[in-house]
Amino acid sequence: MTKVLAYCAFLNRPGISLPEHGLGGASLYEIAQNELRVLWSEVEWPFDSSVLQRYAVEFHKVVSHMFSHGAVVPFRLLSVFDHKQALTDFVFAHHADFSEDLKRLQNLVQMECVLYFKPQAPIDSSGTDYLHRKAELLRGSEAFVAEVRKVLSTLSHGLRTRESKNGSRIFVLVERGNEHKFHSIVQNLPVPERLSRRLSGPWPAAEFLSEAVKVPNMVGQK
Amino acid sequence: MQNDFEPVALVGASDQDISLLDILDHVLNAGVIVHGSLVLSLAGVDLVYVGLNVVLTSVETALRTLRAEEKKRELS
Repeated sequence: MTKVLAYCAFLNRPGISLPEHGLGGASLYEIAQNELRVLWSEVEWPFDSSVLQRYAVEFHKVVSHMFSHGAVVPFRLLSVFDHKQALTDFVFAHHADFSEDLKRLQNLVQMECVLYFKPQAPIDSSGTDYLHRKAELLRGSEAFVAEVRKVLSTLSHGLRTRESKNGSRIFVLVERGNEHKFHSIVQNLPVPERLSRRLSGPWPAAEFLSEAVKVPNMVGQK
Repeated sequence: MQNDFEPVALVGASDQDISLLDILDHVLNAGVIVHGSLVLSLAGVDLVYVGLNVVLTSVETALRTLRAEEKKRELS
């Protein structure tokens, strides 16, 4: 069964080149609504699990290519539309929200710092000891996030955190071109004991999209 | 078999290593969530099917969305 896969939305500008192809060598097309463009291709649906990893990398390459030109609103790999008209209706209904977000994020990129608890060998101790250790790790994590917020105050255009059971994720919005400053500043911060950090980016600023764009009401779908 | 943290060569990527795990996390969990009439059958990936309307996302993200929707309903 053929479906329509949306990759990302972006604002039309002169000199933008499209990637050569989409998933599995599929031809790429654009849907236009005023200055907004949405890149899409046809895909065979559902995906075979054996190609998921390859498709994930190919999808990422398409989005990264467009992101190298400027801000994009990425769709999720497994979000597909029944047919081209459904995507066209979607773009028509939501182009104003998408364009607004893209203008707001035009020169910004998302950098990330994942702070995670180092795996520990199981220790034969009481539940109270375990809870104390856990609380200590959480305090260390909170202190690190506060420090990141402080040292990036002049560089950051926005900072969000998300907690998970294994640590914290810190998302920072910085101007395009300041990625290395982010890396060198955060890399030089001391990490609390028993915590590790991993930096990545630049990514499209997906964590900073408005709710209207992140979870749009669907139109043209049954 | 490729390790989750093994860097992969990417066009347009930054000079930092990007792992397959990072890519999977971003392409599956970051960006626009589209609700539609979809069929999903992917082995080994935790995805959610909700009635006629499908939310294609990780379980973690889906739970967050569902909790937020529940809260909204409670408040209205």
